[in-house]
Amino acid sequence: MITIKNKTNQSVQAALFLLPGFILFLTFIVGPMIYSFRISFFDWNIIFPEKSTWVGFANYLEAIRDPIFRKAVLNNAVYTLVTVPGQMIFGLLVALLLNQQIRGKAAFRVIFYLPVITSWVIVSLLFEYMFSGQAGLINYLLRDVLHIIDQNILWLADPVLAFIPIHLLGIWKGVGWTAVIFLAGLQAIPIQLFEAALVDGANRLQQFRYITLPMIRQTTIYLVVVLTAGALNAYISNLLLTNGGDPLDQTHFILTLMYEETFGNLEFGYGSAISYLLTIIVFIISVIQIRLLRNQEQV
Amino acid sequence: MSKKILAMLSVMFVMVFLISACTPTPVEEPTEEAVVEEEVEEVEAEETEEEVAEVVPVEISYWHTMSDPETEKLDELIAVFEAANPGIKVAPTRFAYSDFKAAILTGLAGGSAPDTARMDIAWVPEFADQGALKQLDGVLEGFDEIAAAVFPGPLSTNFWNGAYYGLPQNTNTQVLLWHKDTFDAAGIAVPTTMDEFAAAACALTEGETRYGYALGGTYFWAPAPIFYAMGGKVVDDAITTAEGYTNGPESVAAFTMLTDLFNEGCISPNLLGGGVGTADGHATGFYSMIIDGPWMVDIYAGNYPDFETNFALIPTGADGTTSSVVGGEDVVVFETTENTEQALVWVSFLMSEEAQKMLAEVGVMPTLAHLTGDASMPAHFEIFMEQLETAQARVPHPKWGEMDGAINNAFQRMLRGDQTVQEALDQAALEIDALLAE
Repeated sequence: MITIKNKTNQSVQAALFLLPGFILFLTFIVGPMIYSFRISFFDWNIIFPEKSTWVGFANYLEAIRDPIFRKAVLNNAVYTLVTVPGQMIFGLLVALLLNQQIRGKAAFRVIFYLPVITSWVIVSLLFEYMFSGQAGLINYLLRDVLHIIDQNILWLADPVLAFIPIHLLGIWKGVGWTAVIFLAGLQAIPIQLFEAALVDGANRLQQFRYITLPMIRQTTIYLVVVLTAGALNAYISNLLLTNGGDPLDQTHFILTLMYEETFGNLEFGYGSAISYLLTIIVFIISVIQIRLLRNQEQV
Repeated sequence: MSKKILAMLSVMFVMVFLISACTPTPVEEPTEEAVVEEEVEEVEAEETEEEVAEVVPVEISYWHTMSDPETEKLDELIAVFEAANPGIKVAPTRFAYSDFKAAILTGLAGGSAPDTARMDIAWVPEFADQGALKQLDGVLEGFDEIAAAVFPGPLSTNFWNGAYYGLPQNTNTQVLLWHKDTFDAAGIAVPTTMDEFAAAACALTEGETRYGYALGGTYFWAPAPIFYAMGGKVVDDAITTAEGYTNGPESVAAFTMLTDLFNEGCISPNLLGGGVGTADGHATGFYSMIIDGPWMVDIYAGNYPDFETNFALIPTGADGTTSSVVGGEDVVVFETTENTEQALVWVSFLMSEEAQKMLAEVGVMPTLAHLTGDASMPAHFEIFMEQLETAQARVPHPKWGEMDGAINNAFQRMLRGDQTVQEALDQAALEIDALLAE
């Protein structure tokens, strides 16, 4: 009896300790989520919520039928398929380099990490200048230095080419962070494994294939899931480089479209529905990824 | 046990949240404990309130997006106002333009909207349609006199559904900026008609090294002065249909001229996106002509102090009249204010000649028509105020933002050769009619 009582006391104590964080979590995360879920079923009047009209799934259906929303989903999908492997490959390469005994290791770490801590706004503007169609560095290099093109390319005016700076920016800015996580994973591998492999006559490629990669599997799973969710939530670079959807609403990401509909056009119900569709997409993809990668591990 | 407690707690909090979320929040909702304390204080306060009521000033809030010099001038302005109206205090709050709409919406949704604000003219119908703004005609004393004294274009931006929901606090418009050196070198006179303008644009173009004319983008604000000067219209005066207006012969002619100039290489391709900006391009001589607003004087004074800015009226269309597009801000009173009377006094003051003249000192263009040519106005105001006499407002409609998007996309499609001008504008007219029908 006494032990049970003690346990109960402990549970109450634990609950009390958790309470402040729990309240904040409920107030600022769960609460708004529920509220916006409710909004998504209404033609919502932000000023007089009581005047909002119930529309059921109309907002969701409208989004699914909207070619601009579909294009935004496609844009996010391509962005994810390009930037997630891009960040991971380059991040792993950088991590492997930084994991060696080289001079100025700390300096290199700082250099690779600098884009991560630099504001999205600043680097986006930097890329906008670099990819300017008339006075940009990239056009100058391609045209006047390398002589690959004979006419300026209007990067940001083209619905397809506009994604080149956006994708490059996404990869460049994420490599540093990915490398740091990989580096942590690499440093956790016991050195004895490599020593044993060396004795067995394994070359560096074999060591990488049979020791490094399997040992950083957990790190890789973590990165794939987190980077994918991040890529699906991409927003600022697109907003600054193409104004959201320019040209012709062809370059939207799901979130830039959501922002435009919500705060530009005051369509709060529609905007909330878009957010929830994105939530569903991220949730499903994350579950599939975790399942797939875990299953592989068991095999 | 612990699970039960946690579950109970979470259910409790979710319910508390839902209940509070479902009921519209009153202004400054006090916490439960505070209510008891306040009640006690109120009883005490009530006794003394009657004696001091005349002395304690009512505070009204005023949200705006003014620049540094304007904000300083606003403080002076408020001091003058408060000296003349001892019963009222004005509490200004400054916002960045890009955050302003979201800030107002958040304020409205959270029950903490300001009493008054100075907002973009394009937002007034949108907020009025949501029921956020107070009708001013018939409510504000002297409204008719003020309405008669201001430029009609800016005033019209406050009209929605048969009533006025604001007054034009300041205004601006766009005129032609021409680069003197390149004009002189080519021996070309400043164009006064659209034909001369088109000819000058091409004559001043040199391949990809210099363009005769450049627009900032394809959003409606950019081609609007030429569009209106050539007689273009987006919708009918009653704002019921775009068919025959957006795609009417004058509108088509305006966009045809621009598309032809673009195809001949006389308009810089930057308007498609991601090129040299019009302000920098013009100052450096890369763009001989641009069309822009009065703020360019300040921008050039700061960034290109040696550059001589030259203005001219927008060239005239086929019927010989010039026109342009109206910009600026309106002062509005929010429906949720508890100090309507004081807010209206503040609005009247902002529309007075005294206030308009004070803000003009820092480059804010007044809306009172009789101040045109006034000696106290900055010299460059004259051409803008002359242009304002014929400048037109964009469609004052809650869905204007989306209409702008329809025209923007149509302009892009014709420039890219995806559609003819007529086809692109036919599609835009359909899209705008759908928005009007909503």
